[in-house]
Amino acid sequence: MTNPAVAVHGLTKIFPVPFHRQRIVAVKNLNLRIEPGEVYGLLGPNGSGKSTTLKIILGLVSPTHGRTEIFGRDSRLVESREAVGFLPENPYFYKYLTGEETLRFFGRLCGLRGAALKNRMNELLDLVGLGKARNRRLGTYSKGMLQRIGLAQALIHDPRLVVLDEPTAGVDPAGSRDIRDLILDLKRHGITVLLSSHLLAQAQEICDRVGILADGVLVREGHLQELIAIENQTELVITDASDELIHEIESIVNRSRAKLIEQRKSTTTLERLFLDATKKDGARRQMTNE
Amino acid sequence: MTSGENASTLPEMNASTYAKPYRPFSFSRIYAITINTVIELTRLKVFYVLLIFALVLIGSSIFMAQFSFQQEFQILKDVSLGAISIFTSLLAIVATARLLPQDMEDRIVYTILAKPVPRFDYVVGKIAGVLLLLAISTLVMGAAFLIVLYMREQAALHATMRQLSGAPPDQLADALRAVRSSAFDADLFPGIAIIYLKACLLAALTLFVSTFATSTIFTVVVMAFIYFIGHLQATAREYWLQEHGNALITRVFLAVVTLLFPDLQAFNLVDDIVAGTAISLAVFAKTAVLGIFYTTIYTLLAAFVFYGKEL
Repeated sequence: MTNPAVAVHGLTKIFPVPFHRQRIVAVKNLNLRIEPGEVYGLLGPNGSGKSTTLKIILGLVSPTHGRTEIFGRDSRLVESREAVGFLPENPYFYKYLTGEETLRFFGRLCGLRGAALKNRMNELLDLVGLGKARNRRLGTYSKGMLQRIGLAQALIHDPRLVVLDEPTAGVDPAGSRDIRDLILDLKRHGITVLLSSHLLAQAQEICDRVGILADGVLVREGHLQELIAIENQTELVITDASDELIHEIESIVNRSRAKLIEQRKSTTTLERLFLDATKKDGARRQMTNE
Repeated sequence: MTSGENASTLPEMNASTYAKPYRPFSFSRIYAITINTVIELTRLKVFYVLLIFALVLIGSSIFMAQFSFQQEFQILKDVSLGAISIFTSLLAIVATARLLPQDMEDRIVYTILAKPVPRFDYVVGKIAGVLLLLAISTLVMGAAFLIVLYMREQAALHATMRQLSGAPPDQLADALRAVRSSAFDADLFPGIAIIYLKACLLAALTLFVSTFATSTIFTVVVMAFIYFIGHLQATAREYWLQEHGNALITRVFLAVVTLLFPDLQAFNLVDDIVAGTAISLAVFAKTAVLGIFYTTIYTLLAAFVFYGKEL
């Protein structure tokens, strides 16, 4: 039996409040099992315990009770992090380093050297679209660029598990879509992704399974399609249907014991509209300039 | 990964081929953190301290032109070695106080420690970076001081030769020997080495305080207290021993005080050097061992506290 990518057993984290008797229970008796190759979304409102759970899994915070494992290794052990890449929420890096120097620094921390490190840096800078900005200091990077260099450093040592804390926080829709595509790419390569988010629409697009945390308690967990499916309802999406066909379907439904709840025109998403508009506008501006 | 381009694909890599397997202690990992710390501190413009030192040195040498060469050399050594001592101590405290809190505030520490990097390596890499920076600063200030001393010595030699141009050769040779002996002193080098070790001790102690301090200001204020108490504690200890005798409990108490507030006066060999008293090898070795001992102990304490810290 293969080890799960992440296993959380009876995890509880209580933070004492200095000079007060009260304590804050950030996570309460949490159990999780994430299989290799899955994209797992840890969802919940701010303060629900998502980041604390991720920090405990990464060994940055110690649990009050329970334990966590990464590919079968206790996550308090440093060697368990050989297999992990992590992108924190709104990451800051050393502003005085360039994009290339940042990747070199993190690569060296992971034991990469020489030509192997150089090749890996080049590949990742191209992957995240920062090839041209590689020699610019991070102090001049936009928020989206920082997020992308953060992703590159998370992947520098080819981890089997990538942990992303609010990966699209503060990123524009185009950047957000790029990050989503990259996560799907990681999945295609068999890399396990554990992400925390409160952007539910995005999680819905990429996650295989989700867990919903509220006040430190896991209130729902399961495969996304199973969780969001409304068992007694069915959607039909028809293209080029005539009015007669629509009326016929309505009358069939009315004759049966079923009930037609809603009939509407299909719509695109606001994200799709935004991306199309900005792409077309950009192309038009470029042609005018030429 | 620019939007609209063809979807980029993840480059293939077999980490087991490229990355070296994890080792509990790695010099190259510590080296990476050390060099990064040196770059971090250099970009913080801490080297402005060296510029101030150069100005102090030049200013004092202009001011001293009115004295006899013996007085001039003595004041030059006194001012320069005192300035090196104060500036390296200041640099050690100010540069170290913000290292860990800044990384925690900027969350860079999460990214670093989420990699296979033990907390011990991180702390050792940080302090090694500060010690390297202090070594460079001490070398630069020491070299500047020795150059100015050499130039003033040459000026004094020329002035002596001019004044005694008609004097017998023996008298001229004696006068020149007197100038040379009052300028250079071999004890200057161990004196500067001890100043460096005192700065190392202060840096390690600052790092230790910063592991549990609530802010950088708090760390600097605590270190300022420790600095002054450390210079006074030898006198206080002698007084205490006189008053309370040499009982076991007294000695234990004094040992604890000595650990919390290191005897910084023990590192003041400079006064003896300036006064012309020779520093014996035993005194130098004892002080150097004390400095290395304190630096090691405080670094280990910092690593221990940081090991259990919730990030």
